Amino acid sequence: MEIVDILQDGVVILELKGRLDTTNYSFLEEKIMKLIDDNQTLILVDCSDLSYISSSGLRIMLMGLKKINSVKGKFILCCLQDNIREIFEISGFTSIFSIFPTRQDALKQF
Amino acid sequence: MTTARIIIRNDIQELDRIREFIERHGDEWGFSTKNVFSINLVLEELITNIIFYGFDNDQVHDILIDMQLRDDQLQLLIEDDGKPFDPFSVDTPEDLDKSLEERRIGGLGIHFVREIMDTCSYERTGNKNRLLLSKHVK
Repeated sequence: MEIVDILQDGVVILELKGRLDTTNYSFLEEKIMKLIDDNQTLILVDCSDLSYISSSGLRIMLMGLKKINSVKGKFILCCLQDNIREIFEISGFTSIFSIFPTRQDALKQF
Repeated sequence: MTTARIIIRNDIQELDRIREFIERHGDEWGFSTKNVFSINLVLEELITNIIFYGFDNDQVHDILIDMQLRDDQLQLLIEDDGKPFDPFSVDTPEDLDKSLEERRIGGLGIHFVREIMDTCSYERTGNKNRLLLSKHVK
């Protein structure tokens, strides 16, 4: 997995590319913890190029949401591919995450 | 009937070999992208459990993954020589419809397996754990 981060109008956009699984979830975990340390707590995770996620990846997403919420930030997702969206639905995560179809829609929430 | 099998070590980096195995045979056997995704997920969740919790020692162990396709019925067998454990004896997490504050982190992997596959069963034969799963594909 590759993570590209972009700072736009005070929002950190994390573009996840490839697969988020048991072999690499710690990269995303470290990235989120670093952003919290740096007081960057407005985060948009763009999943346009995320092709696969397992429960390890979902755990990190949930951890990110909880940690960012606890410091009154925002942790929003956008652009989930169909297979990924289905996994979020099976997990019951669609009701606890803010998920938007496009990056433009998501950015309006900050 | 078409069959394929792979033997991996109890090392999490072996997940890459599983992915290649599923993608290659999924392509050959005409699986949809969604089915390749789902079967990869099922195997990752079950194999990860075995690697992290199945063995009491630090020795190298083999884990067998066997796939059979008959008509549109996919059968998966996962076999390991770890301690006896039936992953399907664990209840589905009860907090799937709870709010964020109430959600615990974890417990999702086996839930995915149950949702994706049509049948899931466990048997202990000799010193082997055998997970048998099936799914209608295509």
